[in-house]
Amino acid sequence: MNSLSASHQMAQPIEVAQPRKVFELDHLTVNFAARKGVIPSPLQSLNLKIEAGRITTILGRSGCGKSTLLRTLGGFVQPEDTGGVVYKQRFMDGPTPEIVMIFQENNLFPWLTVEGNVKFGLRFRKDDTRDKAQAVKDILESVGLTDAAKQYPHELSGGMKQRTAIARALITRPRVLLLDEPFSALDISLKRHMHALIRELQENTGTSMVMVTHDVEEAITVGDRVLVMGGNPAAFLIDENTTDPAMLDRYSSNYLKLQKKVESVIY
Amino acid sequence: MKAIDWERAGPWVVGTLFFCLIIVLWEAAGRSDLPFTTVMPPPSEFLSMVVESGFRVGLGSQAASLDEAVIATFGRVFAGMALAFIAALITGMLIGLSRFVTWCISPLLFVLAPIAPIAWIPLAIVVFGINNGTAVFIVFMGVYFILTIGTLAEIRRVPEEYLTVSGNLGASKWQRWVWVILPSILPGVFTLLRTNFIAAWMAVLVAEMVGMRDGLGAIIMMGRNLFNNELIMFGMLIIGVSGFLVDRILAFIGKRILWWRV
Repeated sequence: MNSLSASHQMAQPIEVAQPRKVFELDHLTVNFAARKGVIPSPLQSLNLKIEAGRITTILGRSGCGKSTLLRTLGGFVQPEDTGGVVYKQRFMDGPTPEIVMIFQENNLFPWLTVEGNVKFGLRFRKDDTRDKAQAVKDILESVGLTDAAKQYPHELSGGMKQRTAIARALITRPRVLLLDEPFSALDISLKRHMHALIRELQENTGTSMVMVTHDVEEAITVGDRVLVMGGNPAAFLIDENTTDPAMLDRYSSNYLKLQKKVESVIY
Repeated sequence: MKAIDWERAGPWVVGTLFFCLIIVLWEAAGRSDLPFTTVMPPPSEFLSMVVESGFRVGLGSQAASLDEAVIATFGRVFAGMALAFIAALITGMLIGLSRFVTWCISPLLFVLAPIAPIAWIPLAIVVFGINNGTAVFIVFMGVYFILTIGTLAEIRRVPEEYLTVSGNLGASKWQRWVWVILPSILPGVFTLLRTNFIAAWMAVLVAEMVGMRDGLGAIIMMGRNLFNNELIMFGMLIIGVSGFLVDRILAFIGKRILWWRV
């Protein structure tokens, strides 16, 4: 009983192993321009620190502002100038190649093969001195798509498409990967494969990742930290450190306890 | 014995049989001297006439061989369509890149679009003279506007994600055009080109009928001037078959080269 009332309060900031932060929301406010004036989003004067080198997952109901938040982190949405997103000690003012985003669909160009799509990530990087062919080969191997290199997107399964998108994002060696419900269209077993893969890639590359999802299991197993957004104006109702290995076991008591807590807030 | 796959063969067999049936009825009508066959002589009559004249059409030194007429018409229609295709893509791009260009060009486009290509013939003859330039220009006018309006619609259909992804990967505005928007819209605009081929085809025939001295349209006009109904029927047949072949070629390009759908 008391878990429900407690969970509605703003969670206390947790002790983190790596205090180095990649993003800091400083009184972030987003409004959308409309034909008549502006429409406020749920994001009003929001504060948060997101640590570098970890996976942060954000859960929330539809319309709670989580996707808008992610797009703001990518620099695709401009917040009001009363605050904003601090990235590298300064307020962001637009997209940067260091921050790459992956969407639920339409990530891949249908006229290019898997290889071509991945190579597209390097096309506009003149300062990249790597052997491009070798880099593409390596990254395809790391996502298990070596055999599918010559296939076109319409010949791929949903999971292979998303793996291609992840490969294309990672080949640019971004500092941050933003994932907007990337596995929502996949079935449950594919999803779990992708969860393991994304964790493995994160450990190997050290990339900071922020993933928005509406799947509680996904948030807990993939994330090192789980945030639950809700309310209007939005607040972080739950902020849990999930680096405990027990969180990878869906039947452990810690996992189930957190799942219950999260579900009581978002359903 | 392996059964015939009627799912695949059916349309071809039925289509061909029905076509043959019409020819047989037409021939029978010609034998029994039904009145309409004097203006519409059956295939056996107009085909034998063409074979007798050694596949040359016309009188004396002005006679041209049939393949010259076909090549002339094909050249005009393809040149006009290719120019219109490229021009439509460039116009779409300029409009997409600059709002100022949009304000300048849009009203012009929508005022010029409803003018039938045939209406441009008198002007074109004065400007280009009676030559290929006029025919190509008329074909161009016949498809350019519809293709430009179609290009703009295709540009609006490009998924937002493509633009974000390419910007994210470091593409400049110009690079985004070349590597993302252009390949996204090409198949759609090409499909539009194919559906508008009929308009281009008609435009070139009309241009040849009223202005040119050669080409398939001119064959019809020559038949008319000489009261030669065989020649008219033959010209119509060649126009129909040629148009069908071109449509097949365009369909092949659409299916094999610009095959993807966005």
